[in-house]
Amino acid sequence: MRGIRVSRLTVIMASYDDWNRLDEEEDEEIQDTSAFERKHDVILFAIDCSPSMLASREDPNYENTKTSHLLSALDAVVQVEKRKVVVGPYDSVGIMLYNTTRKNDNGQGSEIKKGTYVYQPMSTINATRILDLNQLIDEAREDPGLLSGDYPSTDKHIPVGDLFTSCNWVLRDGAPKSATKRVFLITDNDDPLVDSRNPQLVTSARTTLSDLLQAGVSVEPFFISADDKPFNQHKFWTSVLVSEPSTDDEDEKFLPNAISITRIDDLLEQMRFHEVPKRALFSIPFELAPGLVISIKGYGLVTEQKKGAYKYFVDLGDKMEVVESRTTHVDEGRESEAGKGSVLFGMTLGETVEDEDIQEHGFGTRPVRAGRRVFYTAEEVRSLRTLDLEPGLKLLGFKDRSELAFEDNVRHSLFIYPDEGTYAGSRRTFTALLSSMIKKGKIALVRALTRRNASPSFCVLLPQEGEDEGWAEPSGFHLIPLPFADDIRAAPIEAGFRAGKELIDAAKSFISKLALRNGTYPPDSYPNPALAFHYAQLEATAFREEFDPALFEDHTLPKNDTIRKKAGPLIKEWMDLLQNDESARAVIVQTGSKRKPVSSYFEYCDHDKQWSGGG
Amino acid sequence: MPPGAGSTATVFLVDVSQSMGATRTLDLPSGPNDRPRTKQVTHLQWSLQFAMLKIQEMIFNGRKTDQCGVVLFGTEETDNVVNRTDGGYDNISEFLPIAQPSADTLSKLATLQPSNVSGDPVDALVVGAETLNNYLRTKRSWTGKIVLLTDGESPIHIEKWELIARKLTSFNFRITIIGVDFDDDEIDFHEEGKSHIKRENESFYRKFTAVIPNSVAGTLSFALDEVRKPDMKETRSALMANVLRLGDPANNPLEAVEIMVKTSKCTALSRPKAWKRFAPRENIPSDGMDVDLAPTRDRDRSENEVSKIVWAELRMRTEFHVDRDEQEEEDERGDNMDVDGVKKSGAKVEKEQLVRGYKYGSSYVPCPDGQFAKLSTHMGISICGFFNADNFRRELSMGELQYVWADPRSPLQQVALSSLVAAMDKLNMYAITRWVSKDMSEPKMGVLAPCRFQKVDCFLWVQMPFADDVRKYTFSPLQKLLNRKGERVTTHPYLPTYEQREAMDRFVDAMDLTGEGEKDNDGNRSPWYDTRLSYNPAIHRMKQALFHSALVDDLAVDLLPPPHPELTKYFETPKKVVTRAKEVADECTTAFAIKQVPKKVARPRKNDHRRVQDDDDEVLLLDRVAPQTSPTAAKRPIHRKGDDSSETEPESDVDIRAPSSKGTKLPTPSPEPRIVTDPQRAPGRIIGMAAPLADFKNNISQGDVVSKAVEDLGWVVKEVVSRPFSGRRHTEMIECLIELREVCLQEDEIDAWNRYCYVSTIWLLKAVCAKEPGNSAFWNEVKKQQTNLGLITASEAARHGGKSNFLDSLAEEVRCCLGGRSIG
Repeated sequence: MRGIRVSRLTVIMASYDDWNRLDEEEDEEIQDTSAFERKHDVILFAIDCSPSMLASREDPNYENTKTSHLLSALDAVVQVEKRKVVVGPYDSVGIMLYNTTRKNDNGQGSEIKKGTYVYQPMSTINATRILDLNQLIDEAREDPGLLSGDYPSTDKHIPVGDLFTSCNWVLRDGAPKSATKRVFLITDNDDPLVDSRNPQLVTSARTTLSDLLQAGVSVEPFFISADDKPFNQHKFWTSVLVSEPSTDDEDEKFLPNAISITRIDDLLEQMRFHEVPKRALFSIPFELAPGLVISIKGYGLVTEQKKGAYKYFVDLGDKMEVVESRTTHVDEGRESEAGKGSVLFGMTLGETVEDEDIQEHGFGTRPVRAGRRVFYTAEEVRSLRTLDLEPGLKLLGFKDRSELAFEDNVRHSLFIYPDEGTYAGSRRTFTALLSSMIKKGKIALVRALTRRNASPSFCVLLPQEGEDEGWAEPSGFHLIPLPFADDIRAAPIEAGFRAGKELIDAAKSFISKLALRNGTYPPDSYPNPALAFHYAQLEATAFREEFDPALFEDHTLPKNDTIRKKAGPLIKEWMDLLQNDESARAVIVQTGSKRKPVSSYFEYCDHDKQWSGGG
Repeated sequence: MPPGAGSTATVFLVDVSQSMGATRTLDLPSGPNDRPRTKQVTHLQWSLQFAMLKIQEMIFNGRKTDQCGVVLFGTEETDNVVNRTDGGYDNISEFLPIAQPSADTLSKLATLQPSNVSGDPVDALVVGAETLNNYLRTKRSWTGKIVLLTDGESPIHIEKWELIARKLTSFNFRITIIGVDFDDDEIDFHEEGKSHIKRENESFYRKFTAVIPNSVAGTLSFALDEVRKPDMKETRSALMANVLRLGDPANNPLEAVEIMVKTSKCTALSRPKAWKRFAPRENIPSDGMDVDLAPTRDRDRSENEVSKIVWAELRMRTEFHVDRDEQEEEDERGDNMDVDGVKKSGAKVEKEQLVRGYKYGSSYVPCPDGQFAKLSTHMGISICGFFNADNFRRELSMGELQYVWADPRSPLQQVALSSLVAAMDKLNMYAITRWVSKDMSEPKMGVLAPCRFQKVDCFLWVQMPFADDVRKYTFSPLQKLLNRKGERVTTHPYLPTYEQREAMDRFVDAMDLTGEGEKDNDGNRSPWYDTRLSYNPAIHRMKQALFHSALVDDLAVDLLPPPHPELTKYFETPKKVVTRAKEVADECTTAFAIKQVPKKVARPRKNDHRRVQDDDDEVLLLDRVAPQTSPTAAKRPIHRKGDDSSETEPESDVDIRAPSSKGTKLPTPSPEPRIVTDPQRAPGRIIGMAAPLADFKNNISQGDVVSKAVEDLGWVVKEVVSRPFSGRRHTEMIECLIELREVCLQEDEIDAWNRYCYVSTIWLLKAVCAKEPGNSAFWNEVKKQQTNLGLITASEAARHGGKSNFLDSLAEEVRCCLGGRSIG
């Protein structure tokens, strides 16, 4: 059980910088990628240690095991830390417990407010920290009294203002200025002031929270709700948290959707949604018609996650240090680095050794008369690439939904959401357009230039209406890039033998048996096995543990047993029919073919001599 | 690609007879200010354009299997292979042997001049064919092409033409004859006053090319148009072997499907050709000595070439540096400073010293091979299950499409695959599949969709995201808005009204592209826009630019022609639709009343196109006020004690607790006609906080509110500076002050500057800055600008025809007292 759990949870992703890189190939030509600075994410987990959090409960995952909300929360935290290793290896994480009498003796936490305790100070995630936390969790599982013994609850809830102040101090000391800073607040207490109803405490909570916000920190609460203790966010928290600007958008002005109310078992899943701060890839105008312009933001919701490339390290004696690679542009004929200012763009002209200039100056050279210019400047190249368009979407018109063919795809889609920041009124216009298109079953054709250095493309806006809470199907448009004529390959095969009705019907019967009811392709069911395999090994090496490939489970493998159980006999019927199919017996006259027969069925049965002879 | 596929050798036969020296006027792309420009060219130069465009294409594609040579006819001398062996065939010269062309080929062609004699094109065809045939003797799979460029004015010996045509046919050569001003029925071109000989020649060429397969004769202008059209580099997708499986054929062969298939690309992203970087080489002879020697070295070079600068292509080189993190460094700084000083600034490390590994957080995990053990996989496309195609989420398609074909050599496999395709098509089903392209390669998940062509069935496959590939961000619902009590809000500026929705519905109808496209074979109009006719503008535009730069001597003189109309034909909505939708579009513009939110001050930012997300914080902090247009909104005190809530403060106004008043107000235009609503403008002020300088200039230009504008700008600067996060607006504020002082000087508001602005604003600023440590930066800026921001003295005022009560000496005193001089 444990082994499976681990392998599922180590489903991990490569650094999320990939998400924020949009068709990077497009700019590589001009851009100096070394200048690309990453923005770090910093998370402080603030976990409640009140008696209800410490109370012993049945563990739903392990039989005859006790757990507590605190233990579950810590377990979720370690999983998030593990994922962070991969999602953002340079990100920092810290853990602070509150409503505990435990005090920090020294270090980062020694000066914070009473009732709060820094378990792990803010720092970049590393193997030791994760191992430490893992160990605590394992011990606490063995000894249900451990946590309440080590981190005893305070008599009453500490002032929420003190909690925020401590968060502020811990983050101030331990997080880089430029980072995106967030507090993940985990508690099951929906009325922390019940013991001391005092309007001043509410005010102080608000004030200290706004201090936090000013320091660039946002608070993302994870409220734990249980059947015996349902969580009512309106009792206290929404009145404090509602003014909170979250990390990104305008829209948080309403109830911040950063508030998650969750059962403890779903805590980890909830955290996954917040694992990476929401960041827009671009923020551009969308012109519906001349003079009718709104602003939108684009997000990458699907991008192929690759494992990070290996890095080079150098042994500095005391430790291993990552080596940064820098790309320079060198005139190899002269072994000299070119100054940035003098570089222009052009092409090599297919020279051959016979050319005089080549003999004189070497390959890749072109003599140009002084004062003349036969190469383009970076700005000119950009203008050629963009066809002098400014970034933005331009509506070209509408088509029926059915006009968007399955095969008209070449890149992943982006998600478009309105942005009131540049044009006030964008949201209502966007919403009206979305509803109208859904009502009429339309898609929109747009011309898109997403960034200054991109190239124009034609895309379809596919409307999606999702008015439920949560992330599942947000309302907005999917921006689907269409292939150009240049991207479409001709079908290399134009004719072939076809099946008759009987055989088709036989195929229909087993396909129907294997069809998922109301199903679709479920991305969540398929963690990338190659990535997981890589990170499982990375983690094992980091923890100095043995890696056992036998314990690794590939969730993408088809469930062949189920398939056989459900459809085995029907498939066999189809096979028998196929074997007697007239056209299947046809022989393609071909010279020089040495191909062997192909179906293992016929090899196995060995009764179709005509086939084993080869076509 | 199999060897020889698409390999071509082309021989250009260029007529350089005297008659080719005739000139004509060509239209050029418009110059600056759309001034029409023209150019005089000879028929030879014009004809050569065709050869050059073709050769550019070859250079651009850079294929070793696409070669060409040039033979001239009408030259004064004779130098050709047939003449050397058999004699005759005079006035024909081999100019460039068949080879892969380069820029050199083009520059040599550009030197060609008409001669004083004439040459026989049929003789030239024989020479060309012979040259080509010799060259292709060992290249059996190559295709031979002959392109003859002429004006058709020279006499032709046509006695043996049928024999020659047969010979060319037997060689399987393709002949293209391109003539200057040849008649062309298709484009309805008929030259007037055509010479008799040309008329005869043209009809001969038509007769001649008619009997040789794949051969044509045509007119030059049409050929040039055709060759300039965006042209796609046709790529043949290779067929890759794979196996389509359902169930477990290895263990249960009787109850599993296994079909031998071939896969090939259906879509594949084409990218523009890469640009290469070039930099000028410094002249090596940099001191006097070498310059003196130069003429000796370059003795056989012309004057011109000495003044040439060599531009060299740059190659990428990767260097490795140690960048030690500042934070980590801190505790070691003391003792390491001397020894390690260099490393801190990023010492270069040789590649040999490096060890490969991964980072696990901040821990280092060695991995000398660069990768861990790979997941063990077996080749195959395995079906995991089927689902209704209607449930397919189109937006999840990750990338390029693949075709899956049954083995083209096996009818059995074809029938088997066809039955699956047809069954899925009839059931409207797609299949979830796991795709492994060869043993040990990484699995991909995807969806298999049936695809039925006229004569063959196949599958299409597209990759779908893994769990890891889906980013789950939260977005608040657009229509279901809740207030802080958790109640549904139905009227709000964020929600479209009934009228707005109606207007949008009409707009969507009017902008419909169905039936606005080309007519198909049955005469029905298809929707406007067809992917198969939509060229990637960037690819073809860059290609055009590269061609152009390869040919010209100076881009400043020979301007790049505009993009081919084919590239931009889909850039704008068809005119007919625009016209039809004009009225409803205007209706929408009025109904939705979208207002541009005043821009934030531009500040220098690196990588702005990549890092849009960087703004997000700022958007939140100051621009959250944007949507409010209600005049009441501005009544709140802008500056509060401690000012700890000034950015979040405006939120309470946007708070949806009182949505009704705003919801109804928003769509109506602002009641004050002149003053456009600036949400950041306080009541009674005519200068807003968002773009004060622009507002100020605007007001000043209107002339009647100078005093008020001066007063208000002073106030705004003070407000802005005293708010938190004003740092990014410092430069702007100083600009405001400088402009303010200038205007005071010009508009005789000197007193206002000296009394109000200077005393009140600057002094207050100092006070504010002193209180708030973060603002000292601003104060320092002010000090730096003191000559531009000081009191207006009597003498300065006099120069501008104004008066000031401040004597220069007094002003100096005040300045000192502010600490300007003594500190700054």
